[in-house]
Parts: sequence; C-alpha cells; structure tokens
Amino acid sequence: MSTHTVLLPVASGPRIRAVLGELSRPHRGSAAVAVVVLVAGAAVSLLVAPLLGEIVDRVARRQGADAVLLPVLGLAGIAVVQGLLAALGVALTARFCETLLAGLRERFVDRALHLPQARIESAGAGDLTSRVTDDVSAVSDSVREAVPELARAALMVALTLVALAVLDWRFLLAALLASPIQVWTARAFLGRSEPLYTAQRIAGGAQQQHLLDTAAGLSTVRALRLHDRHATGIAERAAEVARLAVAVVRLHTQLFARLNLAEFIGLAAVLVTGFWLVGSGATTIGTASAAALYFVNLFTPINVVLFQLDAAQTALAGLRRLVGVADLRRPPEPDEPATVRGARVRVRGLTHHYVEGHPVLTDVDLDVAPGERVALVGASGAGKSTLAGIVAGVHAAGSGTVEIGDARLDDLDADGRRRAVTLVTQESHVFAGPLAGDLRLARPDASDDELLAALDRVGAGGWARALPDGLETVVGDGGHRLPVVAAQQLALARVVLTDPRVLVLDEATAEAGSAGARALEESAEAALAGRSGLVVAHRLTQAAAADRVVVLDAGRVVEEGPHDDLVAAGDRYARLWEAWTGARGGEPAPSPRS
Amino acid sequence: MLAYRGRIAAGGVLFSTHQAGEALVPLLVGVVIDRAVAAGDPVALAGWLAVLALDFLVLSYAYRFGARQSWYAEAWADARLRRQVAGRLLDPRGGGETGRLPGELTGIAVSDAKRVAELQVALPILIAGVAAVAVTAVTLLAIDLSLGLLILLGTPPLLWVVQLVVKPLEKRSGAEQERAAQAAGTAADLVSGLRVLNGIGARPAAVRRYRDSSRQALGATLRATRAEGGFLGTVQLANGLFLAVIALVGGRAAANGDITVGQLVSAVGLAQFLIGPLQMFGFVSARLAQARASAARIAAVLSAPPAVGAPEDGVAPGGVGPDGVGPDGVAPGGAGRDGAGRDGALPDGDPAAGPGELSVRGLRLRRPAGGSGDRSERRSRVDPATLEAGDPGDGRHDGDDRSSNDGRHSTGRLGSDGVDLDVRPGAPTALVAADPEDAAALLAVLARESGPGDGRVTLDGVPLDAWPPEVARGAVLVAAHDAHLFPGSLRDNVMAGAPETADPEPAMAAAAADQVAQTLPDGHDTDVSARGRSLSGGQRQRIALARALAADAPVLVLHDPTTAVDAVTETRIAEGLAAHRAGRSTLLVTTSPALLGQAGTVTFVVDGRVHARGTHAELMADDTYRAVVTA
Repeated sequence: MSTHTVLLPVASGPRIRAVLGELSRPHRGSAAVAVVVLVAGAAVSLLVAPLLGEIVDRVARRQGADAVLLPVLGLAGIAVVQGLLAALGVALTARFCETLLAGLRERFVDRALHLPQARIESAGAGDLTSRVTDDVSAVSDSVREAVPELARAALMVALTLVALAVLDWRFLLAALLASPIQVWTARAFLGRSEPLYTAQRIAGGAQQQHLLDTAAGLSTVRALRLHDRHATGIAERAAEVARLAVAVVRLHTQLFARLNLAEFIGLAAVLVTGFWLVGSGATTIGTASAAALYFVNLFTPINVVLFQLDAAQTALAGLRRLVGVADLRRPPEPDEPATVRGARVRVRGLTHHYVEGHPVLTDVDLDVAPGERVALVGASGAGKSTLAGIVAGVHAAGSGTVEIGDARLDDLDADGRRRAVTLVTQESHVFAGPLAGDLRLARPDASDDELLAALDRVGAGGWARALPDGLETVVGDGGHRLPVVAAQQLALARVVLTDPRVLVLDEATAEAGSAGARALEESAEAALAGRSGLVVAHRLTQAAAADRVVVLDAGRVVEEGPHDDLVAAGDRYARLWEAWTGARGGEPAPSPRS
Repeated sequence: MLAYRGRIAAGGVLFSTHQAGEALVPLLVGVVIDRAVAAGDPVALAGWLAVLALDFLVLSYAYRFGARQSWYAEAWADARLRRQVAGRLLDPRGGGETGRLPGELTGIAVSDAKRVAELQVALPILIAGVAAVAVTAVTLLAIDLSLGLLILLGTPPLLWVVQLVVKPLEKRSGAEQERAAQAAGTAADLVSGLRVLNGIGARPAAVRRYRDSSRQALGATLRATRAEGGFLGTVQLANGLFLAVIALVGGRAAANGDITVGQLVSAVGLAQFLIGPLQMFGFVSARLAQARASAARIAAVLSAPPAVGAPEDGVAPGGVGPDGVGPDGVAPGGAGRDGAGRDGALPDGDPAAGPGELSVRGLRLRRPAGGSGDRSERRSRVDPATLEAGDPGDGRHDGDDRSSNDGRHSTGRLGSDGVDLDVRPGAPTALVAADPEDAAALLAVLARESGPGDGRVTLDGVPLDAWPPEVARGAVLVAAHDAHLFPGSLRDNVMAGAPETADPEPAMAAAAADQVAQTLPDGHDTDVSARGRSLSGGQRQRIALARALAADAPVLVLHDPTTAVDAVTETRIAEGLAAHRAGRSTLLVTTSPALLGQAGTVTFVVDGRVHARGTHAELMADDTYRAVVTA
C-alpha cells in the first residue's frame, strides 16, 4: 500500500514573487499609498534632530531664552504630524499585507483540499498538516510583526543616512565606517542562525510530540511499565531543547558584541568629524550635536533590522512551502460532465497498483444492482479498501472502468460524483465547530429540521438533542468530544444529507469496538436504505446480512454469491464462516438473521 | 525559584551595569560636544573618546555575561520543570493526568514550564531596569534640578497615558488572535478530515467554509490593526510633545546659562533613554502575572493525588501465608513513604514468578454511588465482609471476617452484585460483558488503575493491591483495545514490554503483525510515529497485540484486541493467540465469536452480575448472549 515519501513541492524565489505579485495585483493602489505614508512619517521624524541642533545653536549664539520657542513649536508640530502618519501608516500597511496574506492562505487551503488523496499519502500525513499549521502561522506572524517592523526600521536607517548627508556629506562617510562590521556581522549571523532555529524547531516539535504521545498513552505506559523509558526520552528531548537554546543565546550575544563595536567606531568617527568640521568652521556645534544624536538614534533601528531579517528568514522557509502548494493547479474537471441516471455499479477489468509490479487489484469485475447490498470479504491486503476507494471515486483507477448508473465515474464532475457515490470509512472525523456546521458540509443549504431528520434517521437524534446547545454545540477538536460511535453516526447522517445513489462502507463500524458495533450496524442499515450498497465487512454478520458476498483474495475475486449458497458450497467462505463464528464440535452456526 | 537567587542577583548586577553603560553613551556624547568640540580641545577629544570606548567595552561585556548567565539559567530551569511534570505524569500510581486532556498536559509541560523559567531572565531585567532608572535620575538631577524633576516626574504619567491606550488594544488584539487561531484551526481541521471530505464529495463546501472563516479573521485583524495604528500614533504624539517640553525647559535653562549646551544634549538623550526601562516594567509585571498562573498549573499537576493507592498509601494487607490466606490487617494510614518490604506488611518475592492464577471475588463493577469505575477511588480496601457467599469453590478466603471501615458498601446490595472470575494457566478464559462499562470497570481494577472496592482480586493467593501498582502490572498485563503506539520503529513498539533478548517474531506472527510489517516500506524498521496516522486501525491494533504478547506476562488480559481487524485475519489471530498463550493465564474480554471460540470458560456478565458461564458453544443457546456476540 505504501510507497516512499515524496514531499509536496516547495516554491522557488521566482515562483514566490509571481504568486505574490498575482495575489497583490488588485491591491497595488493601496500598497503605493501605504509606502508614501510610511516614507513621509520617517522623513518627518528626521526633522527632530536638526531642530534640537537648532536649539543648541541658538543657545550657543546667545540669542536669549525666548529664541528657543520657535524650534520647540516645530518639535511639537512634528509630534502631531508624526502621530497621524504613524497611525495611518500602520493601518494601511497592515491592510495591504493582511489582505495579501488572506488571499495566499485561502488559495493554499483551496489547493491543499484539492490534492489527490494518493498525493497526500505519498507525502506523509505530517507534511500537509505542518504546512497548514506551522507554516501558515509563521508566515502570518511575520507579516504581522516582522515585515512592518523591518520596513519601518529599514526606512529609518536609510533616511537617517540621507539626513546625515544633508547635514554634511562627511558625517555620512564617518557613519558608514561602521557599516563593514555591521554587514559582516549580519551575514555571519543570518548564515548561522537559520540552521540553529531549524534545529530548535525540530527539537521543540520532537519534545512536544514526545510529551503528547506520553500524555495520550499514559495508561499504556503504566500497563507496560514504560515509565523509565519515557522519562528518559523526555529528559533527553528537554536537554536537547535546552542545549539549542543556549547555543542561540551564544549566537545572539556574539552578535551584540560586534554591533557594539560598530556602534562605537561609528559614533567616535562622527564625533571626530564634528570636532574637525567645527574646528575648521565648516559646521556649527548644533549640527555636530545633531549628527551625533542621529547616529545614536540609529542603534535601535539597526538592531531591529537585523533581528527582523532573522525572523523574516524563518518565515521565508514557511512561505516557500505555502506557495509550493498554492502554486499547484487544481485537478481538471471534465469539460462536459455527464449526469448520473440509475444506481447500479458496474466495474469491468479493474487493475490497480500503487507500486509498479505489485498489483493490488487484478482484472476485477463487480456488479451491484440498484438497491442491492454487496459485501466484500477478504484478508487485509486483499484489495478491499482499494476497490472501495476506486468505486467511490476517491482513488483513480489504474485501468478498467467504473460506472455508476450509466455514467463513467471519470466523466462526472465534483458535484456529479458527490450525488452519485459516498464513501464512509472507519476513519471518523468530527469537524471542529457547531454540529450543524459539520453536517452542512454534506448539504450546505440544509435547514435545521433536515439536519435533525438526518440525525434521527441514523439513530443519532437522541444524543444530538441532548447536547448542551443542540445543533449549535461546538464539537470536535477543542469542543464537545463525541464518542467514536456518535462520530461515526454523524458520518452516516452526512450520507443521508448528501443522499447519494451508491453508498460504500469501508469497515465503517470497525473502530467502534464491540461495544458500539450493534448501534452502529443499525445506523448503517438506515443510511443504506434505498441505496445500492457496497460494504467492506469486518464482522461476518455484515456479510451474512448482505444480498450477495464477494470474496477477494490477493486482488482477485475468488468467490461470489449469496451468504447461504456460499456456506452451503463448503469452500473458502464457508470455512471462514465456521472459524469466525467460533462454532466448534458440531455446534450449528448461529443464524445472524434470527 | 529560590534556588536560583544567586544567579538572578548576578544577572541583575550585570544587566544593571549594561543599562548604566547604555545611559552613559548620550551623556558622554554631550561631554564630548562640550569639552572637546565646543572647546576645540583635541586632547580632551582623545581622552573622552577613550572613556566612551571603555564604556562600550563595559556595557558590551556586562550584557554578554548577564545574558548568558540568565538565559542559560532559563534554559536549564525550563528543562528541569518539564522533567518534573513528566515525572509526575509517569508516576505508576497515576492521577497526574486526571481531568486533563493530553494536549493540556503537554501545554503545561511545555508552555507553562517555559513561562515560569522565563523569570530567570525577567527578574534580572527588572533589577537592571530599576538600576537604570536610578542612574538616570541621579544624573539628570545632577545636571539640573528642575529639568531632572520634569523628566522624572513627567515620564511615568506619559507611560500611564500610553497604558490607557494599550488596554483596549490588548482586548481587541486578543479577539483578533482568537479569530485568526480559529481560521488556522479550521484549516488544520479540514485538512485532517480530508479523507472524510473526499468520501462525501465535500471539498468545495470545505473550501467555502475556510474562505468564510479566513475573511472573518481578516476583518478582525484589520479592526485590530486600526486600533494598533491609533496606539502607535498616540505614543509618537505623546513622546514628541514631551520631548518638545523638555527642549523648551532645557533650552531656556541653557540660554540662561544654568546648564551647558552639552548638558542639554545629555538631558534630551537621557529622557529618550528613560522610556526603555520604564516600558520594560510593564512588560515584566505582565510576565510575572503569567508566570504565577503557570506556576499554579504546574503545582496542580505535581500535587495531584494518585489515582490508585500503592500499599504504602495506607492499606497494607499483610500476613499472607503459603496458602494465600488474605488480608488480616489494615495498617494505619500513611505507614511510610516507601513501604515496600517494611513491617513485614508486604509480600516478598516477585508476583510475576508465580504460576499466574488470578482470582476475582465479589468485585462490584457498579459503584453504589458515583458511577462505575470511579477512578478517584483512592484507598484500595480489602474487605472480606462483602465477599460473595456463593464462591465457586476454592475456599481460599474464609474466616477473615472483618467489618468494613466506612460502611460504604451498605448502600449497595450485599453479596449479589459482585463478579467472580478465575483465570488459570491453560486455555484462555473469556469474559463477555453486555454493557461495555462493566468490562471497563473490571479492566481498570485488573490494571491497578483503580482499587477493587469491596471486592477481592488475588494473584496466586496474594491480593493484587498488596503490591505497588507497577509491580502488579508486571504480573498482570492489561492490554487495552485502544492501546497507544509510541514513536519508534515497529520492532521497538512490539518489544516495548518484552525482555531485551526476546524474539519478536512468534508474538508478531500470532498477532498477524508480521503481515503489517510486510506491507510497510521498511518492514520492522518502519517508523511507526512518522506513519502513525497512515496505519489503519487494524494495523495499529495488531502491532499493539503483538506487543502485549511479546511482553510475556504471567497473566495477560486482552480487551477487544481484534475489533478493527477483518474477519479473515481475526480467525487467524484467534488461533495464533491461543497457541501462543498455551499453558499460561489469559483473559479475553471481548464479544468476538472468533476469539470466544478459542476460550475454555466464558463468563457472561449482564448488569454487573454473572449471568451465565460455559463454553462459547454452550452459551450460544442463550438468546441474550447470542445477541451480544453476533451483533
């Protein structure tokens, strides 16, 4: 069944730009306005230092106490404008970035939900899940925090340098003496931080997973007396997390030490330049003060740029994985979709393999007459689930044809397939949110009464009404936990709402354990009523209750016929039946229909 | 936390030095302007630049050592707290997890531990913040009294105004985060239910649902960012106006000759600097509150009472003779922490060394009050007074009559609602419970997850609860039907409870797990955790069963081991299982006819009482029984 892992695609730089460009096209205008406001805000804030310099100059020129009033009023005016521009700039930037982000994540989820099942399985369950959780949140956080901070700080740095040049170009040269150290530091830092963060993320994830596994399996741990092994495992994971945290701190402190060096060199150079320029009469003391203040005010934005570059670098890895999926094309739909008439199932010459040379199904023919119930019986690996999946249109057939009614499955579009056939497997999933929302996935326009009717039909009306908020009760992950039986009844209620012509049940009652099996069998009966049914049976009583039994072995149909005929025939199925019912020593096999 | 006092103090001193150094930078800039630039004195320039260099050197190294000291301490405290939480959860007596979901427990062990550990950094930073404010205040007051007072007294109200603006923003951003989390949750949830969506053709509906959720999140985010914009704008405005006031007062003072130009520059720089540490106070106080809440959650787990009493917890049945006559003493509460072997109260030897004869007498599966299987049952009481009279005959526990200590049993029906059961080496014994709750209650007692209440469970004549739970579990292994597989290879999982030298193959063959290994890419070495979700229920169940068989316990109790397995494989397992356990004690708690057919005696329990006993074939004549097992 399994092939080797092939991860989902990761986008290249040009593809990221292309996809983001496409998504941002409708919002270009607002982006331009946001940039203008940000630049204006940063530019205005640069007026502060020269105004302070002006105050110093006026004091130095002994123009009297009242002379400082004018530049002070200027400072107040700047404060007002700055406040307004900051408010506007943040809102506008966020609007653009967040809208872009929403577009990206929606497109990502759309493509993710349209991935062929086989593709997701070959990527491993974790790949898509980690993209949809970790990567989306990493990119979102970055858009929310790193990007605006980075933009503001970078702008601040750039404009400060411009302002230094305006004061005197020699101040700029002096300030730039610090930059070789800063660039070199940044490169070394960013090159080393990313692998360290990746290791940290992996170690953190492993620790989390280990704890979760232990916490979820505590009774198993106790039963098998695995305490020490788990304690050691957790301690090792925790030590690794701590070791990496220490390494990160080391890296950060090294970074700061070098930045401090750069700060000193730059500041000293600016002060010496000021000394020299004032001495030669090329500039005033006020201007020299302003230049020094400018440079001191650069410390923070430069740190911010470095750290946010660091954060953005992490987010970029997530972005590559998001765009990799968002950039996939949706599977094509037939140009002229067929419509389904009738409820028979006709499978001819079906051959399928997951791995070349290892056929799972070989030349299988199968018929289900309208309204008929056919049970599939066979050992694990006989191909039952594959056959069920192909009939339900979840897996693409290797070769051969599958028809529902008089239409080929391949000729149906998504909606046609939904109306034609539904598959319910033992894997139950309760969708998080209100119970009604879960059911409406099956029929979005259903009224509450219709939802309740569907629940009643499968015997779930009782517990559903007893929920604290009825249909509006939040169920699933983070909500009211439904027991396995209820979850599976919910799945069957969805079938009633979808109302397909053909229902395929793949051991749909297996996970309930013996406890809930009976209740579920009844629910399944109700969901099957009025439809053609293909049932992968794990309890042979299900086979006995079907109209016909098809026995699969190693991908081929080896026996076929009504239960009683097959038992009477005394062949494979009969032996299986005898062994399964546990009847020994001539005791007659129990009749399941009694 | 107290253990780290020294480290925190050292971190505080180092961070303070760093802050003081940072505060000196604008001051020194002012001095350079005054003494060197304005005076045109190159010697003063060189001298003061050297002082500036020294300042940078000190602040840089102080930060380096302070940061390393504090963050290293945080990392190790974090790991230590996590080990402690894990240690409590893993206590064989259980109870640490009671009432908490696995995700919540993980959150406590990860996030809460981290928050508490963060104090290692937050406290030194707090100390340094106080120091920075003090240094700045002294310097400012030394420059000019009125200007210094203006800055010192003006800054706190300024920050207070900022706080006022932040409060509603925090609320708003909380709502936003909730929405965003919801949208992210919706996406993850839809993706994990993808097979189900596929089965019902609901992908388009799911895409629409996500889009709605995402748009709502976007709306909330945009509202929050408008508030955030307002906040930032207000901060800028307030800071800018305050600066203007300082410039006005300082400028006038300088013009009047009260202070020098350089002092004016220093004062303005210090005023800017002061905002940093003052803002930090707000941040640290929020952290302190969080850490307190986290510490409370951790303490709740660490101090949770055990779910099941070990013998030393108060009840130590003693005086077990060679004939296995039961308890004759109820030790006074709290006989000692590690009571094993003390006072002769505990049995000697290894329960796993005996023949493995398990006997259950008068075990009530339904508690008179509080429901069946009450896991909070702490005291394991051995109370022969309520032993069922109709003991099917080994007469092991006569004459030990003793009245109960709390009279609790009197509310139940005496002598009629207990279950008796014997599991002896040989062919498997089976128990069929019409109500799964009854089965769960029995299994909890056998697994030593809860006490036997008024009933009595003995292994080779010795009460099972005379041993510490982990010792008892070594002799009686209860394999739950939903047993958990752990990270590691398939082989690691199968061998988890087995002696190291054991051969996994026979157990795997008996559980039909060899077939599972064949279909996996790396066979026995396939990492079960990585593919854990893509293993089918039947595959997982077979691996878990192989693990239970490989553990080779004297008494093996299997609960519904084949519910997710197909009929063909189930019959194979039933035979393999019986052959593998031949000659040992095995109890099958199941309703599977294929397994029941392999059992010698089947006990059928209805409403917490034994309804019938016999072979599977005999019991098939009973309508109730047949209905239960062929449902």
